[in-house]
Amino acid sequence: MGAPIYLDYAATTPVDARVAAAMRACLTVRGTFGNPASGHAYGRAARERVERARAQAAALIGCPAADLIWTSGATESNNLAILGSARGAPGACGASGARGAKGAEPAIRGHIVTARGEHKSVLDACRALEREGFAVSYLLPDREGLIDPQAVRAALRADTLLVSIMHANNEIGVVQDIAAIAAVCHERDIGLHVDGAQSVGRIPVDVTRLGADLFSFTAHKLYGPKGVGALYVAPARRAALQPLLHGGGQERGVRAGTLPVHQIVGFGLACELAGALLPAEAPRLERLCARLWRGLSGLEGALLNGHPVRRVPGILNVCFAGVEGESLLAGLTELAVSSGSACNSDSEEPSYVLRALGRDAQLAQSSLRFSLGRATRARDIDTAVAAVRREVRRLRAAAP
Amino acid sequence: MSGRATQGRRTGGAGRRARSPARARDPLGEAVRLLFSDLRHAGEVRSARAAERVLGGEAGRTEHGTRVRFSLRVAAGRVREARYRAYGCPYTLACCEWLAGRLEGARLPIRTLDEPARWALALSIPPERLGRLLVIEDALRAALGAEALPPEPTA
Repeated sequence: MGAPIYLDYAATTPVDARVAAAMRACLTVRGTFGNPASGHAYGRAARERVERARAQAAALIGCPAADLIWTSGATESNNLAILGSARGAPGACGASGARGAKGAEPAIRGHIVTARGEHKSVLDACRALEREGFAVSYLLPDREGLIDPQAVRAALRADTLLVSIMHANNEIGVVQDIAAIAAVCHERDIGLHVDGAQSVGRIPVDVTRLGADLFSFTAHKLYGPKGVGALYVAPARRAALQPLLHGGGQERGVRAGTLPVHQIVGFGLACELAGALLPAEAPRLERLCARLWRGLSGLEGALLNGHPVRRVPGILNVCFAGVEGESLLAGLTELAVSSGSACNSDSEEPSYVLRALGRDAQLAQSSLRFSLGRATRARDIDTAVAAVRREVRRLRAAAP
Repeated sequence: MSGRATQGRRTGGAGRRARSPARARDPLGEAVRLLFSDLRHAGEVRSARAAERVLGGEAGRTEHGTRVRFSLRVAAGRVREARYRAYGCPYTLACCEWLAGRLEGARLPIRTLDEPARWALALSIPPERLGRLLVIEDALRAALGAEALPPEPTA
């Protein structure tokens, strides 16, 4: 049997061959291998490549290049945005769990608003802040996965420091109304962080129009390398952003560490290519997704997870009533799909994102996430539909 | 270009063939994969004829992730036909399939099916799945009743 059909592009994408070639040119003695912090010619050449990549990445999300910080990926970007904003906020100083008056409850250092369906790198960063004495409100999405901007407004408090809401959900692909949420936040001069790992490269993104103050994205979701990402930081928020890493002063003191030139160059080119391909690729993936859903929706008990329209092209999450998810996944040997987010798939627990939509444990556990990408063709979709129909029927026939 | 990932080409200086997705190790293991792929004993036994009995038993709950039902057609002191229905992980389904195959032709009372820990060993089922196998054992015990497996160990 040949390699399975890859339908897990939301987990990661293969590196574009042009990107790989550009990266290779930054590794060896004949290439641009210098340390961008060095003052000599090798360093200057590397710095030029890094700044060109910064401009390429910034162009994809509509921000000035100077407002972009390189990181190791979206997880670090999310951590830097949330931990850095909270710890660095002017009103949040003071030791962790410090008590106000003698014998009183520990003083709350500040308040963060996020949502239950966020990526683990956001939720776990928020949990860490709770342990440090911050309060966090976790909003529940509606049954289609959307966060109501008015629910954000209702959650804001006098001590709210930051709101963190993802742009497109990694499991169900639903796109939030970030502009409306940003308007709510800015009425009270509260910063908004947006995890854009799944939206950049799939839909047009303009952080200025969205109103995001901090915006995370990563290379490996858009045919770039793993291990590099970026955080957009609006100039007004930069002073309050406390770094997580210290030593070296790179990235204007916000993110220390020698810049991985080959990764950054690859990321930059991947962004440029994604921007160029987007106008044709987005509608193509939308058509393929519609074809997939047409094929699957004919199965009894197949339910689409998330809003039917407000979604990024290329991500479809479906649950199958009465079918055990692990067996379904194991039976689909000709497909590489996910039974939830890859970050969460080691766990036997049903997806917390789907549970937050109100799906019961069995339905949540029976879900499959199909995520399509550049190499996906109509015949792949037809193969996927046939395979899923076969396995769902086989497992249902074996079930009590 | 198709959706099939193209890997496994020669890697630069290393000169070794990269592991392709098609050759990646199957986490289920060979025995479980074979059984899981061919659930030929899934279903219900045919209705019993004269001088035959049908034994049935069920355990587990769908909402807990595992539910198993066995039905056995018994005649002349032997299991003539063994069928099961199961909702559960691939290990659960494979183990039911394996046990059903072993049950057919077995003489009552059943003395040869060992215990779940040995089933796990025989099929290379990871220890963390033992709980699923205990549900299967409960279903078998419920089906076989007095003609059951060896007695449960006492505490």
